[in-house]
Amino acid sequence: MYQSFIGLEIHIQLATQTKIFCGCKAAFGDEPNSNICPVCMGYPGVLPVLNQEAMRMAYVVARTLNCTLSPRSVFERKNYFYPDLPKNYQISQYEHPLGRDGFVDIEFHKKKRRVRIHEVHLEEDAGKMIHAGDMSLLDYNRAGTPLLEIVTEPDLEVGEEAEVLLQQFRRMVRYLGVCDGNMEEGSMRCDANVSVNLSGAGLGNKVEIKNLNSSRFVRKALNFEISRQKDILERGGTVVQETRLWNENRDVSEAMRTKESAHDYRYFPEPDLPPFITDEAFLLEVEKGLVELPAARRTRFIEEYGLSELQAEFLIDERSTAEFFEQTIALGADPQSAASWLASDVKKLLNRRDESIDSSVLNPERFAELLRLLDEGRIHGKIAKQVLEEVFASDASPAAIIKAKGWEQITDPAELSDYISTVLEAHPNAVEQVRAGDAKPVGFLVGQVMKATSGRAEPQLLQELISSRLAVKVIHVLSFGGAISGVRREDGLIGPGELFDLRTEFAGDTGLPAELRLEEIQLGAFLSEEIAPADWAVLVSEIARRIEDSEAAGIVVAHGTDTLSYTASLLYWFFGKARIPIILTASSVPNDSKRGSAKPRSEAVANISAAVKRAASGAPGVGVVYGAQEFAPLNLKFERVEEGADRAGVFRTWNEAVVPAGAGPMSTGPASTGAPVSVDLSHLPNPIYPAAGVDPTDRKAVQAALEEAMSRCFIVKAFPGMRGDHLITLMKNGVRYFVLELYDTGTASVRETPYSLRAALQYGAANGVSFFCTSQQEAMVDFADYVTSHELWREGAIPMGRLTTESAFTRLIVAQLGSEDELEVQRIMEDQ
Amino acid sequence: MDTQELYVTADLAHIQLTEEEVSRLALQVDQMVAYFSKMSEFDVSGLEPTTHMQVSRSRVRADERRDIPGAHPDILLDAAEELEDRFIVIPNVL
Amino acid sequence: MLTFWKNVLENSPDAYEKAVRARDARIGAFLEFNPKRHLGNAAHKAASAEKHAVLAGLPFGVKDNIAVDGFRLSCGSRILEKFTSPYHATAVQRLMDVGAVPVGKTNLDEFGMGSSTDNSALGNTTNPWNEDHVVGGSSGGSAAAVAAGLVPFALGSDTGGSVRQPASFCGVYGLKPTYGTVSRFGLVAYASSLDVIGALSADLDVLQAVYEVMSGADAFDQTSIDVQSLGSRDAEAGGAASLGYRGKSPCLGVLKPDQLELSAEVSETYYACLEGFRSLGYEVKEISLSMLEYVAPVYYTIATAEASANLARYNGVRYGLRPDYAENPDELVRLSRDQGFGPEVKLRILLGTYVLRSGFQDQYYLRAQKIRTAIRQDFEAGFGEVDMILTPTFPRQAFKHGGEDMSPFEQKQADKFTASANLAGIPALNFPAGVLKGLPVGMQLLAPAFGEPRLLAAARDYATLYQPELAPGYERPAGEQ
Repeated sequence: MYQSFIGLEIHIQLATQTKIFCGCKAAFGDEPNSNICPVCMGYPGVLPVLNQEAMRMAYVVARTLNCTLSPRSVFERKNYFYPDLPKNYQISQYEHPLGRDGFVDIEFHKKKRRVRIHEVHLEEDAGKMIHAGDMSLLDYNRAGTPLLEIVTEPDLEVGEEAEVLLQQFRRMVRYLGVCDGNMEEGSMRCDANVSVNLSGAGLGNKVEIKNLNSSRFVRKALNFEISRQKDILERGGTVVQETRLWNENRDVSEAMRTKESAHDYRYFPEPDLPPFITDEAFLLEVEKGLVELPAARRTRFIEEYGLSELQAEFLIDERSTAEFFEQTIALGADPQSAASWLASDVKKLLNRRDESIDSSVLNPERFAELLRLLDEGRIHGKIAKQVLEEVFASDASPAAIIKAKGWEQITDPAELSDYISTVLEAHPNAVEQVRAGDAKPVGFLVGQVMKATSGRAEPQLLQELISSRLAVKVIHVLSFGGAISGVRREDGLIGPGELFDLRTEFAGDTGLPAELRLEEIQLGAFLSEEIAPADWAVLVSEIARRIEDSEAAGIVVAHGTDTLSYTASLLYWFFGKARIPIILTASSVPNDSKRGSAKPRSEAVANISAAVKRAASGAPGVGVVYGAQEFAPLNLKFERVEEGADRAGVFRTWNEAVVPAGAGPMSTGPASTGAPVSVDLSHLPNPIYPAAGVDPTDRKAVQAALEEAMSRCFIVKAFPGMRGDHLITLMKNGVRYFVLELYDTGTASVRETPYSLRAALQYGAANGVSFFCTSQQEAMVDFADYVTSHELWREGAIPMGRLTTESAFTRLIVAQLGSEDELEVQRIMEDQ
Repeated sequence: MDTQELYVTADLAHIQLTEEEVSRLALQVDQMVAYFSKMSEFDVSGLEPTTHMQVSRSRVRADERRDIPGAHPDILLDAAEELEDRFIVIPNVL
Repeated sequence: MLTFWKNVLENSPDAYEKAVRARDARIGAFLEFNPKRHLGNAAHKAASAEKHAVLAGLPFGVKDNIAVDGFRLSCGSRILEKFTSPYHATAVQRLMDVGAVPVGKTNLDEFGMGSSTDNSALGNTTNPWNEDHVVGGSSGGSAAAVAAGLVPFALGSDTGGSVRQPASFCGVYGLKPTYGTVSRFGLVAYASSLDVIGALSADLDVLQAVYEVMSGADAFDQTSIDVQSLGSRDAEAGGAASLGYRGKSPCLGVLKPDQLELSAEVSETYYACLEGFRSLGYEVKEISLSMLEYVAPVYYTIATAEASANLARYNGVRYGLRPDYAENPDELVRLSRDQGFGPEVKLRILLGTYVLRSGFQDQYYLRAQKIRTAIRQDFEAGFGEVDMILTPTFPRQAFKHGGEDMSPFEQKQADKFTASANLAGIPALNFPAGVLKGLPVGMQLLAPAFGEPRLLAAARDYATLYQPELAPGYERPAGEQ
């Protein structure tokens, strides 16, 4: 077993107005050799003159990296000849750098790590040399730009961690306002050193890698280098201590030819610059430069505003977004809706218009006003989106826009009641039908009111007013296949069918509230095991439409038991925050009781009855009711526990300690009138919608997205003697994401044999394929304890924590909807 | 100092030495290095090196544009032997 | 004489130029001479500060390692032979601001490395007192120009004695100010922690005014010091004008001359000189500078180390000598330096590179910096007992061209009196103390940091006993009728 050690040398150009040792403009992209003077050109007779602002920024960074600040930092000359270095020595720091012994905390795939900072020192940048055939062209505009070098200890283990560190670092310097962190333009640069050795044997021979011009190259180059060194060691060779260049075109590192003597830099104190001594006033300036860092701000956003990690992550990525968000909240907006609007519609509009939030016409005042109008019900969601677009288009305030466009909703109950009265008077037959127990005309009547108000009626209020005027509560029961709606055929086998007539079955059920009106909608007649993406697309779009604008007070989904754990979690990831209850239920056997017989009601009828009661009275969001118990929609496992004529089974929730299961048996039995007690869902992982990109009411779009997403996913269960190359075949056939069901807390064979996951993991890592790891047991996968767990982590596998395979799989599908790349999918998957 | 060390030193200093120069300089360098060795007689324990004179406080300048009168970039470029589109040109290995 | 100098450029610049050229044909003090170039650029006499009115209109020479806009800045080297400075050194600018006019660039040992000015790659300078003898160095051109009456004063640079030693060889005053009191901006660096711009003149009033005008903090040199704000004893006493430290009789420290390995002439003059000061009422006290024997090795270690980095910038890329053909950047740089630098410069770069190399640095460079601390402490202890220290400037008078009577190695060893002031950062002044066998002898006065006023005052006192002579044949300024 080998260990790898990575240390980074990160260079950032400080964003000062002028160069570090002269008054020339420090800028990127100007005409060649236009920002030069005798000092930065290394003319005879001139002297460096230290820029205070460069020093301040440097100390701010060192302080932020938890370094011990030098009370006296000394510049030294680093002597080496290179045509882009005007003086042929670089003014740098050596014995007395400005900061030492700091640290930075990072996290990769749930593994936290403290990376020690060896030192932070300030120096001058060199010019640029461009090779053009038989000449080299020199531009000294960059020469003398203040360059801060941050040297870490070799505390990193894999390339991905280095990538995470760099991204975090980039964000940090942008927050501090000391650098734009642009690796393409070279304002942030990175060199790395890598060594590999047998576990426990300490550092190996160090190889320097240069030319890492993006955080992605850093990851690739380091992982390439680790495996290159490992290969050498495995063949019994010795790694040569050398400097290598990353060739981004060929994806390999190449040895750089250097003379041994070139490394004798002959440092000595720069006589032209007195040592820099920090005084109280300076240190006060440094303290003033400190800001709340992205990581701290993320934690605070989660705690203070109840945001999900992913929401918080999105908001804090750019300081301007985070500040916009907080300004909006300060104006009274709800953090949740502000966050989700910023992450979805606002982001989309900004992207489309190629604007940034701090330069757009949408200011916090306008944004808060929009959310307030929405919150007060003066506009509804669809109108709000139009208003937002209009704000951008016409540079006007939301209130002015809805006034000008006449988009304001009718939220006054008295005004709306007048419309309702008119409609009810005009349609006495429909009213009569409803009173007789038929739910169907309710939708018609709602539609008539909407028409009368030109769509300006606030839907929720309308539904409430109509319900109370007609004394009805409408629950839509969506029949979605499975034994619950199945029939027992003559040969005794259970086949697909249509849901029984609820009104008939529930007749005389005194437990059901009198005002309940049930509407049955048949979405499919199939067995639960036959579900295909198109079926889910129908279900998702039907539910989405009902949440958005129907008269339903709740939705019940009658489902089969086989795949309930998939559908329940899928609906949760979509609709976990819906405004109405969405309750799934199932039955292991069809309703084959004889109508009107004295026999106790069948399991199917009992479960639907309980689900309807729950949907009529319980908390909003997604839940599961089965066998007189309510369950969280995640981590369900169906278990057959009784054999016999009824073939009854039960559901159980895995990792109950972290995913709350049902609150226990209902207070009364299945035949009783009591509704199940609602489950506290507040500790569940956050749903993904409405942040994702597909309109859930658009069935075709949902189907296409689901089909595409599912074609890229695969569930694999680890087993002894598993052939890694089979997974490679799957990857070659387009699988981009695996849900990998491992043993226990996340262990598997990663030995160097064909019968292990290693080859597959490495092939995957090289090709951007992700492995999300769940357990075959009821266990928390965190890669914490075992050697093979750590190896899996090193190879890039991502632990799914408490999620079961089914819940992780559906999350993976929803995560892909609207994600730009695999990194975003990974981020969503890790945000639990 | 042996000739090898002289070559290493010359290489670091980017000075190309002819053989004639080497034999002449080697003697002179040797003489001086031997002279420097006198310093080893002196006990330096407890002494801090003197790297800077008369230093009492930090010296910095404000982060503001400042030119050296007369030294316009174009004048500096005139001093270069070969130019191409404002770039200074030097030969390169093909 | 001063009246002549104040008016010569205004009244008869052409006659002056002609006369200088004629004289300089024999001496070779100037590498470039053009008295009219900056005539219009220097502040008009009337506008100049009254305090320094003595300098208004005066022509002056500038050692060719100090930048004067529009003049060459060759440093006596092939590598910068054709290099023109695009800017003024702060010291030059300040002198121009009070109406003084830079008229030309004086010869020097290449990059200031030498004691004879024979190490110049661009010209030969000879001693106006005797053409067989060297003028001293490295500011030899400036010393010769003053001694031969070409200019009333000239600027030099002093890293280990380069102002004082040629001043002593030529019989003029030469002041090396406290490190940092005069901005180094525009002075081509030889050894940055030792370099300082100094001045040479035969007239103490002029010398003092030049020092006062040049000194003071400069925003382009962060090692420069605002002398007035320091509140040194001398400065508090009202600067150079009133020498208020003379509350009691000044105490002069002298060395045991038998340990100094002096030539008979220098030894004789040293005795005469200390007796002279005694006769002027100075208390004379024998002190020992035990560190003196380490001065030369420490000085050459530090100076060459710093020089090796300071001269790295001359690589033929951005300016300066470039070979006709080079295959690649590395060869271009090596050939430029090989063809551009003279043998003494190469020697010092090699030495400096060597003492900084890893594995040797502790033994040489670092050790030298530590002994430098001991040398400073030695002086501090000495100045606890005495106000000034009197030493010879150089152990002997001007030696002959070609090193036949003093080898380059002996020349280096002989820098110990002068270089000690550079290592300690303190001010020192060469004053003419006699002429023996047709060559002048100079003595050196050392003072604690910022003690320039007392050095000048002591020199004035001594001038009441011995009035410096100018070189035979050059008693009158060039161009004076």
